[in-house]
Amino acid sequence: MRADEAEMNRPVYLDHAATTPIDPRVAAAMAQCLGMQGEFGNPASSHEFGHAAAALVEQARAQVAASVGAAPREVIWTSGATEANNLAIFGIARYYREYGRHIVTARTEHKAVLDPCRELERHGWQVTYLAPDGGGVVHADQVAAALRPETVLVSIMHVNNEIGVIQDIAAIGAVCARHGGARLHVDAAQSAGKIAIDFAALGADLMSLSAHKVYGPKGVGALLLGQRGGAGTQLTALQFGGGQERGLRAGTVPTHQVVGMGLAFELARAAAPEIERIASLRERLWQGLASLGGTLRNGDAVRSVPHILNVSFEGVEGESLLAALRSRLAVSTGSACSSALQEPSYVLRALGRDEVLSESSLRFGLGRFTSQSDIDAAVVAVTEAVLRLRRIAGA
Amino acid sequence: MKYSELTLRYFETAVGAGVLTGSEVHRGAAGSRARGTWVQFDVQVASGDIRAARFLAFGCPHTIAVSAWVAEHAAGPAAGGALPESVQKLSDRFEVPAEKRGRLLIIEDAWVAALAAALQR
Repeated sequence: MRADEAEMNRPVYLDHAATTPIDPRVAAAMAQCLGMQGEFGNPASSHEFGHAAAALVEQARAQVAASVGAAPREVIWTSGATEANNLAIFGIARYYREYGRHIVTARTEHKAVLDPCRELERHGWQVTYLAPDGGGVVHADQVAAALRPETVLVSIMHVNNEIGVIQDIAAIGAVCARHGGARLHVDAAQSAGKIAIDFAALGADLMSLSAHKVYGPKGVGALLLGQRGGAGTQLTALQFGGGQERGLRAGTVPTHQVVGMGLAFELARAAAPEIERIASLRERLWQGLASLGGTLRNGDAVRSVPHILNVSFEGVEGESLLAALRSRLAVSTGSACSSALQEPSYVLRALGRDEVLSESSLRFGLGRFTSQSDIDAAVVAVTEAVLRLRRIAGA
Repeated sequence: MKYSELTLRYFETAVGAGVLTGSEVHRGAAGSRARGTWVQFDVQVASGDIRAARFLAFGCPHTIAVSAWVAEHAAGPAAGGALPESVQKLSDRFEVPAEKRGRLLIIEDAWVAALAAALQR
């Protein structure tokens, strides 16, 4: 089979919320750093090779900062959003432990936030898990009601990774500012590059970013650490070794990775007009799926990013739906498949969906390279699969 | 999740999906859609022999594939209501993960219920 034929036979990729392909321009910029003629030096080295690499690292830092309304000195490189979330949560918890040991977060957060919180609970911390409304929105007054004098951290994601709902971070930030002692951490892995972000204006103290959701490489991300007012927000480092990143994240900075992230974020900012096109495609997808009947859209349809659509299908079982689509469509299911037995999505369960509907949901993630023909093919594939499974189930 | 070639073939073709009608047809069902797995068999039994079988299934690919295989291989003596093959052998044949073997018991319960209705006549 020729390469182009193999490409044509691949399933339609609608899982951009899981990861994105690297933009060819990003890949080229990264490759420039890897060879003998490129800037392969250790950016911490005090010779010409090191200086050249360090200049690229700082350029990338400025690119990322500019794309999210932050100052370059607020960017700390990490291996991804998961590490950034861990650094934010454990770092704040340890630094401010003498001030209080209470954290506020939401039931619908990513595991990279929930699991660190649970780990802290095992060490005596108290965590309040806020329940979202039926649309997946966590309201600022819920946060206000949950705050205690000993609260040192509020961690609320900007955009939910399963349902795409946008939280009102500015309102939550204002609540935290009034409290005074509660730092606001925002997991922005799904919003950066998808909707406009102004770190300074949102009132967040910390923000986690990921490159591979924005057509950049896997294995690199950043934590924004606000430096506004006084000493800014402080962290206790979690790893030690070389004092890189102002001592907050030891380890040689991977020049090619951060160069890729920097350019990916810059390109995303320049590609803002594509948001309207993607929103239009998502609406076309939803209208196509809705015509099936027995389809339920999950999450607040108004307060959502344009690239995510989450739908439950009545009368079908989730694992079978995914299996029926596997050769035609790459999407995510509402199940967390940590073993042979799938578990219903805890995010959809938190919205009030029952177990069966939570399992029979699909998350469609649209992206920069998604075409109208991709959407039309997806509608046909899902329609045929759902109708067939409903027939087998006698539904 | 990875599925065996046999599981995928029976899941995709779902031979025997549907219902039977007529005076010699008997129906049995087990499981619950709300709990994720439900299976129904219709069997046509005459003179102690199974002449035809059909199934409906709400469940995972293994549930659909095994139900389809059972319906396809049902023809012959009713044999006291037993499945054409034991749950253990079906589990091995379709490489059903240990965590999902309980679903084969639902298939067996539906089959036994259908045959019990037929053999009571």
